[in-house]
Amino acid sequence: MTTSTHPTLRPPAGTRLLRLGSRTILIPVRATVGAALLAALLVFAVTAALAVGAASVGPLRSLPALFGSGDATDVLVVQRLRLPRLQAGLLVGAALGVSGCLMQTLARNRLATPGTVGIDDGATAFAVASVVGVSTSLLPSGMALVGAATAAALALGLAGGAGTSGYRFVVVGLGVGAVLGAVTNLLLVRAPIDAANAAFPWAVGSLNARPALPITLLGIGLAACLPLSVLVGRRLAALRFPDTVAAGLGVRVRAVRLAALALAVVCAGLAVAVGGPLGLVALVAPEAARRVCGPRGVPILSSALAGAVLVLLADTAGRTIAAPVEVPVGLVTSIVGGPYLVWLLLSSRPRRLP
Amino acid sequence: MTPSDIAVLRADDLTLGYDRAVVVDALRLALPPGRLTAIVGPNGCGKSTLLAGLSRLHRPSGGAVLLDGRALARMSAREAARSIGLLPQTAQAPDGLTVADLVRFGRLPHQGLLRQWSPQDQNAVDRALAAADVTALADRPLETLSGGQRQRAWIAMAVAQDTPVLLLDEPTAALDLGHQLEVFELLRELAAAGRTVVVVVHDLTAACRYADHLVALHTGRVVAEGSPQEVVTPELVRRLYGVESVVVRDPAAGCPVVVPLRLVS
Repeated sequence: MTTSTHPTLRPPAGTRLLRLGSRTILIPVRATVGAALLAALLVFAVTAALAVGAASVGPLRSLPALFGSGDATDVLVVQRLRLPRLQAGLLVGAALGVSGCLMQTLARNRLATPGTVGIDDGATAFAVASVVGVSTSLLPSGMALVGAATAAALALGLAGGAGTSGYRFVVVGLGVGAVLGAVTNLLLVRAPIDAANAAFPWAVGSLNARPALPITLLGIGLAACLPLSVLVGRRLAALRFPDTVAAGLGVRVRAVRLAALALAVVCAGLAVAVGGPLGLVALVAPEAARRVCGPRGVPILSSALAGAVLVLLADTAGRTIAAPVEVPVGLVTSIVGGPYLVWLLLSSRPRRLP
Repeated sequence: MTPSDIAVLRADDLTLGYDRAVVVDALRLALPPGRLTAIVGPNGCGKSTLLAGLSRLHRPSGGAVLLDGRALARMSAREAARSIGLLPQTAQAPDGLTVADLVRFGRLPHQGLLRQWSPQDQNAVDRALAAADVTALADRPLETLSGGQRQRAWIAMAVAQDTPVLLLDEPTAALDLGHQLEVFELLRELAAAGRTVVVVVHDLTAACRYADHLVALHTGRVVAEGSPQEVVTPELVRRLYGVESVVVRDPAAGCPVVVPLRLVS
């Protein structure tokens, strides 16, 4: 039984074997290279986000300025103005990427996202309701979280619980989302013009001047959810098979599905509470991660990286394209993500849907 | 020694149902090791439900499934998955997986977070690939394979799970004659190596030809059980399928062959 009697333990194709005493860990080569690639891209996106804007700091000076060295104006611009926004974008993108990856794997459907199952719409409707009702800075964020959880619970309950297969959940979620979307529109139409204006960022998704507390909450939430999601993701890899196969392999299907769903809802809810409904990030980021990392596993970490890159680049573009007018990041992700989605559907061979 | 004395897996007054509808009714069954058992019966007689019950996928509403004398329902999912392998009907895999990737999933119940690959895993995968004759296809994506090759890859996954009991739901449903024979030969080899192999089949001829032990199921009850020679008679065929038939001997193998004549009027 000891490994020493089997000196020729060779790892399966496409993996490297890491041995620590009797412990063995398989490192998937392509997924690891893919994650490294996305991490490098993220460094680029961070540098760009800090450097570019109304006051140009310059890519070589932006990173030192972040750590307080260099020109005083640079330090002020980077640390005071751009860092909070960078944090928000980074966390929102990563959380949406994780959430989307979990949802898509869970539903066995590449089109499932927190958006398609109504979580975005729920968060938006509740946030808008609180803005046009009692306008304060923290409350909409809290309400967004409540709205996200409500929408998810509604969709799950109406679809018949965590045992249901993916497509039912998606279809019911679409309905829940449509109703909540209508509620948002109704609220915006009936609200006085000033309140409707104040609620507008919640309806499109923006990273401009977000309050600090929701960002902190998102940071804490993501720090807890990301490692858990990576762990759940290992089990989720088997849930890409039909339930009967996964259960036959010893996976506790209901428990894994419920855990993944809870993580997806918390991530999406906390993210929407900061940035509003950032259309399509949760759809595009996992797709990009899967393309880069290959089909072997569920690329949770890479989806987080891809989501962060996407939101940072979109926000940086939104700040600069039409300067001094700022295009909300949600519009940029929709403008970029929409055609991408169409291209995706047209270019790939038909995929099996459950 | 009767089969029930050495059975690894047995159903003890097993009742299975959906909501209030009883599909399998107080069923007693002993599945002998080292044998290939075929479960036959008309559509909707509870074959697939029984298989799900035997593999812990379907919780019994009465009675129990016993594995080596222990109630299956009390075992953890992982523990059960190390003893019972299940290949359901029409299983689909995510896009892009290769045969080797798929077969490796069979080792999941034996692996842990810090024990992701062991010599046993390696041996089991290699042996399963060889047994199902898909070693040469190991690096091919599943969607590039023919139906027969893909089915053999799935069987290899179930074999790699390395369980004393192996349950298969219509593993030859979509296969042509040659591939059907291949699969049954493979299942016979697995049984000969000491495993309890149980297969749900529609093809009565194939069941008679390859199974050591035949279980005939009708409306959730066992109506006949034993070797195909003893069990398969015109009376049984009439009872199960409502078809008049003659049963003749296969001139080569000596097993019974059912020749259907007409529906019972």
